[in-house]
Amino acid sequence: MKKWMQLALGILTGVGGFFDIGNLATSAQAGASFRFQLLWSLLLGTLLVIFLVEMSGRFAAVTRKALPDAIREHFGFSAWLAPFVVLTLVHFLVLASEIGGICFALHLVTGLPAAAWALPVAVLTWLFLWRSTFGTIENSTSLLGLLTLAFVVAAVRHHPPTGELLAGVLPSLPHHDPAKYWFIAVSILGSVLAPYLFYFYSSGAVEDEWDSSYVGVNRGIAFLGMGFGSLVALTAIVVAALVLAPRGIQVDDYHQAALMLTDAFPFWGFVLFAAAMAIACLGAALEVSLSMAYTTAQTFGWNWGEDLDPREDARFCLVYTGAILLSSLLILFGIDPLKLTLVTMAINAAVLPFVAIPFLLLMNDRKLLKEHANGWISNSIAAFLLVLSIVLAVVSIPLVIVGGS
Amino acid sequence: MKEMDLVRDVLDKQVVDRDETKMGRVDGLLLEVRAGQPPRIDSIEMGFVVLARRLHPRLEEWLERLRRRFGVSSIRKTARYRVPWSAVKDVNPYCVQLDVAALDTPAFDWERWLRDHVVAHVPGVDS
Repeated sequence: MKKWMQLALGILTGVGGFFDIGNLATSAQAGASFRFQLLWSLLLGTLLVIFLVEMSGRFAAVTRKALPDAIREHFGFSAWLAPFVVLTLVHFLVLASEIGGICFALHLVTGLPAAAWALPVAVLTWLFLWRSTFGTIENSTSLLGLLTLAFVVAAVRHHPPTGELLAGVLPSLPHHDPAKYWFIAVSILGSVLAPYLFYFYSSGAVEDEWDSSYVGVNRGIAFLGMGFGSLVALTAIVVAALVLAPRGIQVDDYHQAALMLTDAFPFWGFVLFAAAMAIACLGAALEVSLSMAYTTAQTFGWNWGEDLDPREDARFCLVYTGAILLSSLLILFGIDPLKLTLVTMAINAAVLPFVAIPFLLLMNDRKLLKEHANGWISNSIAAFLLVLSIVLAVVSIPLVIVGGS
Repeated sequence: MKEMDLVRDVLDKQVVDRDETKMGRVDGLLLEVRAGQPPRIDSIEMGFVVLARRLHPRLEEWLERLRRRFGVSSIRKTARYRVPWSAVKDVNPYCVQLDVAALDTPAFDWERWLRDHVVAHVPGVDS
């Protein structure tokens, strides 16, 4: 029973890492521009991320080491340096996008410009990390994250056409704007297969002191946590398809996305959207900041742990402090949060091979994982993921240029 | 005697102190080559300068020069810290444990400095 309480880690990773600003933005765009036609991209991403997260949790449970820690140890500093730098840059961009999302949600309900919220939001996020323990963050984000179920309720209230929904499960060629179609498809994959997600999850498992006995529970958590995030993202596409597409609303600004819930919840829709957006982004901002600090501390062997007093792991705490402050400056200086998010998601997709390859190699190390090393199913998925990630890496940046504007 | 692969089992491993406080990683290993006798491990090295050397020897020179010119005196020595192999208490699959207290070593210079000069001044942290 106690082990199943760890579902909170799954939901935290699901809310924070899965359904975040990236998924919200790409889902709204996908639904508004291509109705259900891009559902396949989300489902493919979900399948892959369930496996990635399961592997990362299994790795941490068996070896009691988080990924950055183990990768530096096994491949050496020189080999880990490039993925580490890439991972840090991506963390930084994602963090800025999430902070932008919270600021925008606050702008929606207060009318004050998003940039004005940048510093207050940064301080709030930082204060949360500075003062609370890992368990508190896990549980409060999971609980508040249930608010994102508003998208599921809205989708059901709209009675989506089943035939068309099912047709979207299989990939098909677009009838218009092919560049935009593929750009969104890649951005969806980039937002689902976000590198920080499986890196964070392994450190989270170490924070929660998992051991080999968690291997089974981990499988369930990966499936349910990622499934939860995916369900919300999927219903967000459905709602956008049924609310925005018929009115010809394209999402080139978060303001348009904010109308998504107003049909299903006439009075509360607007506020509900803002609240769901704020909580999903806050969960993600906490997770990404921590993930950045975990990665840096483990790379250099510093003392780390969200449950320690900041005086015991000053360097760890100052990494997330600096990251939050710097990334909020991007928002303060008025970078368009939606553009930043979409480009960041494409970059996520582009860097995937860098950060996934060392991880997938380690999953096959029998000296390390013994009988828990990857079997043929996981390895088939891993091989597929590798090929896909290399394709994504090649096409994502050109697609930003042709389809991103 | 237990067999040990220096690169696989020691290099890049997490270093912890007596109380299992994480204090760095094995950034480098120094061997002593002795005439007529097999080489033996002299010490383990930690610090940014050591890491720089692993990337490129010139990088180490540059860093060393920069550090001498701009380094704050209280934290200058932290860039390279050598621990004699005799201080190694245990090498296990998780870490290399040293028979020292991290807080009293140069490996914690930055940690100590940041704690006293930055963290201590954050409102809400009681000293």
